[in-house]
Amino acid sequence: MSETLWIEKYRPKTLDEMIDQEEVVARLKDFVKEKSLPHLLFAGPPGTGKTTAALCLARELYGEHWRDNILELNASDERGIDVIRRRIKDYARTMPVGEVPFKLIILDEADNMTSDAQQALRRTMELYSRSTRFCLIANYVSKIIEPIQSRCAIFRFQPIPREAVLERLKFIAESENVKITEDGLDVIWEESQGDLRKAINILQAASALDEVVTEDVVYKVLGKITPSEVREMVNLALQGDFLKAREKLRVLLYSYGLSGLDVLKSIYREVMSPKVLSQMPSHMQAELIELIGETNFRIVEGGDDEIQLCALLAKIALKAKGG
Amino acid sequence: MSVPWVEKYRPARIQDVAGNDEAKKAFVAWLNKWLAGKPEKKAALLYGPPGTGKTSLVHAAARQYDLELLEANASDVRNSAALERRIWRALTESSLFGKRAKIVLLDEVDGINPREDAGGLAMILKFVENTRYPLVLTANDPWDPKLRTLRDKCLLIRFKPLGIRIITSVLANICRKEGIFCDYQVLRAIAEKCKGDLRAAINDLQAIAFGKKRITLEDLDMLGYRAKQADMFEIVRMVLAARSPEHARSVLSLPSLDYEMLMQWLSENIPHQYAPSLQAIADAYDALSLADIFLQRAKRTNEWSLLSYALNLMTVGVASARDKPKFRFVKYSFPQKIRLLSQTKKYREIRKRIASAIARKCHVSTRTVIRDILPFLFVIYEADAELAEEILKSFDISSKTFKAIIKQ
Repeated sequence: MSETLWIEKYRPKTLDEMIDQEEVVARLKDFVKEKSLPHLLFAGPPGTGKTTAALCLARELYGEHWRDNILELNASDERGIDVIRRRIKDYARTMPVGEVPFKLIILDEADNMTSDAQQALRRTMELYSRSTRFCLIANYVSKIIEPIQSRCAIFRFQPIPREAVLERLKFIAESENVKITEDGLDVIWEESQGDLRKAINILQAASALDEVVTEDVVYKVLGKITPSEVREMVNLALQGDFLKAREKLRVLLYSYGLSGLDVLKSIYREVMSPKVLSQMPSHMQAELIELIGETNFRIVEGGDDEIQLCALLAKIALKAKGG
Repeated sequence: MSVPWVEKYRPARIQDVAGNDEAKKAFVAWLNKWLAGKPEKKAALLYGPPGTGKTSLVHAAARQYDLELLEANASDVRNSAALERRIWRALTESSLFGKRAKIVLLDEVDGINPREDAGGLAMILKFVENTRYPLVLTANDPWDPKLRTLRDKCLLIRFKPLGIRIITSVLANICRKEGIFCDYQVLRAIAEKCKGDLRAAINDLQAIAFGKKRITLEDLDMLGYRAKQADMFEIVRMVLAARSPEHARSVLSLPSLDYEMLMQWLSENIPHQYAPSLQAIADAYDALSLADIFLQRAKRTNEWSLLSYALNLMTVGVASARDKPKFRFVKYSFPQKIRLLSQTKKYREIRKRIASAIARKCHVSTRTVIRDILPFLFVIYEADAELAEEILKSFDISSKTFKAIIKQ
C-alpha cells in the first residue's frame, strides 16, 4: 500500500471503530437504525473524533452512496457566509440518492463564523430543513449562537483518555512495524493529551526519524515542529530587545505563515513554561497572563495581527525591564 | 501594460531627444571627431540626474550614425568575466560587420564601489586608454572623488534636469499618439511632480492612463508612490515628534491622508523614533493597537462615526506616549510588513495550494494543515525524503512543489 498520512490511513471507517466517545457513538447508531436525524452539533477539542464521527455516520446512513449525499464545508476556508449559503443552496436543490430522504451537510469549524454569519446560517438551515440535515462541528458550544444550539442535538466530545490513546498508538505502531518504547509513548501522551490527531502525527514523524521511537526521538520531533523563533522572540522581549523580537515575530507571521492567534498561543505556552515562569518575579506572572489574554481579545476584535502582537511584545519588554 | 512607453517612445533621432541642447551639441561634435579619426578624448562621460536623456542620446546617435551599439551596466561588467571579455574585444577589435563602426556604452560608472570592487575602476580606465571606438560612460554624480582619474581622461558632458515645459510637451505628444485626451493642467502637474526626470514622468503618465481614454485631475490621486512616500516620511515625523496634541492631530487635516498606510508606517517607525524608552514604545503601540480595533469595528459594523476614535488614537494617542526621548533625527523606513508580504507572496500561495490539497483529503481547514500537519511533513521530509514524497503523492503534490516551501 502506498504511503499516506496515518491520520487518514487509520481514520475509523465505521462507528464501531471509533475510539472512545461511547455515548456519542451509541446515540448515532440509533439514528442510523431509524434512518432519521435531527440537526447535529458536535463540540469538543481538536483530535477527539468529531469529523470522523460525522463521516462514519454518513457512511452508515447512506452506504455506498455516501459521497453523493454529503456536502463538506469548512467555515474557515470558505469566503464568507454568502459563499457558504450559495453552496448549500445549490446542493440542497438536488434530491438525495438512495432511500434516506435527506442529505447531510457537514459544516466544520462553525464556531469560526461571526454571530451575524451564524444568524444567516440559521435561516438557511430552516429553508432547507425538509431535504437536508446539518452537522455543525465546533470546538466550543458557547461560540455557537443560541438559536442554532436550540435547533441541534448537541454532542460533546471529550478528550480521549490516556488508555485509549496509547492503545491506538500501539495498534498503529504494530501495523506499521514500528517499535515504540513506553517512555516514548509517555512523551507523546504528555504533548498531545487527548488530541489523537496530534498523537498520531507525532508518532508518524518520529518513526521516520528512527527505527525505534524512544523518548529522545519524540523530543527531537517536538523540537522541530515548534519554530525556535517563538522561544527566541519571547526571550528577546524579556531582555528588553523589542526590535529583535519583532524580527522574529515577522518570521513567524510571514515565513511560517502562522495566524496571529496561533502565534499568541505559542507565546502563551512559552511564557507559561516552568523555566520562564520561575525566572520571573511573582507579581509579573499574573500581569503577563492578563496581557496575553487582553491581546487575544484585541486580535479577535482588531484587524492587524502584527500591530497587536507588537503591542504585546513592547509591553512584555517594558514589564521585564521593571517599567 | 504591454510595452513600457519609455521604450516605445525612445527618441529615434538626436534632434528628438528632449532638451539639453548644449549637451547634444557637444556630444555630436565629439562623435564626429571620432568618426574623422581624431578625438581629443577617447571617452565621453555623460553625467546628470536620472531621466535627463543620457542613454537615449547614445541610442539615437547609434541609430542615426548607423553604429553597432554595445551596452552594459558598469557594475555588471565588473562581475562577469565573460561580459568584460566581450567589451574588451569590442573595444579593441574591428567590427564583425566589416565597415560598420561601433559605439560602446557603459552605464552608471558611479555605481562601482571602490572598496568592494577595487579593480572595477582600473578596468574601466584600461578600456578608456585602449579603445579604438567611441566609448561612452554615464554617471549621476561625476564629482565623486573615486572618479577623479577617470574624469581627467574623459570629455565631460553635463545633462541638466529637464524643464517643466519640455516634459509637458513630450507628454502631450505621447498622449496624442496614444489617442488619449488629457488636460494640459494634468500633464503639467505630472511634470512638476517629477522634478526634471522625464522617465519618471512618462512612467507616471502610463500608469495613470492605463485603460483610460481621458485623464482628469482626479486621476492624479493615484500618482506614483514617489511623491506619496516622500510625504509619508513627513507625516510620520509630524506624529512621532509632535510637541503638542494639536501638532499630532494636524496630519488629519491633510487631504487624502491614507490612514491605513499611516498605521503601517507608524508601526514600523515607533521603535526607531522612541528607542531606547521602552515605556514610550509600549505606550505608542498600545494606542496604535486600540486604533486598529476601532478601525476594524468601524469597518465591520459600518458605523463610521467610530473612525474618529481610530484616527485620534493613531495620532494624539501615539504621540501622548510617556517618557518619550528627546527628539532626534532618525531615518524612517518603509513598512517591512508590506515588503515582506509582497516578497513572500509566491511562497505563501504555493503553501496555501499544498495546504488546501491536504485539507480536502484530511477533512480539516487549511489553517489547521499549516499549523498542525505541515510541520510534521517537514520533519518527515528532512529525515526521509523518499517517504515524504510518497506521502505527498497521495495528495497529488509533487515533491518539486513541496520543496519550494521548505524553509531556507
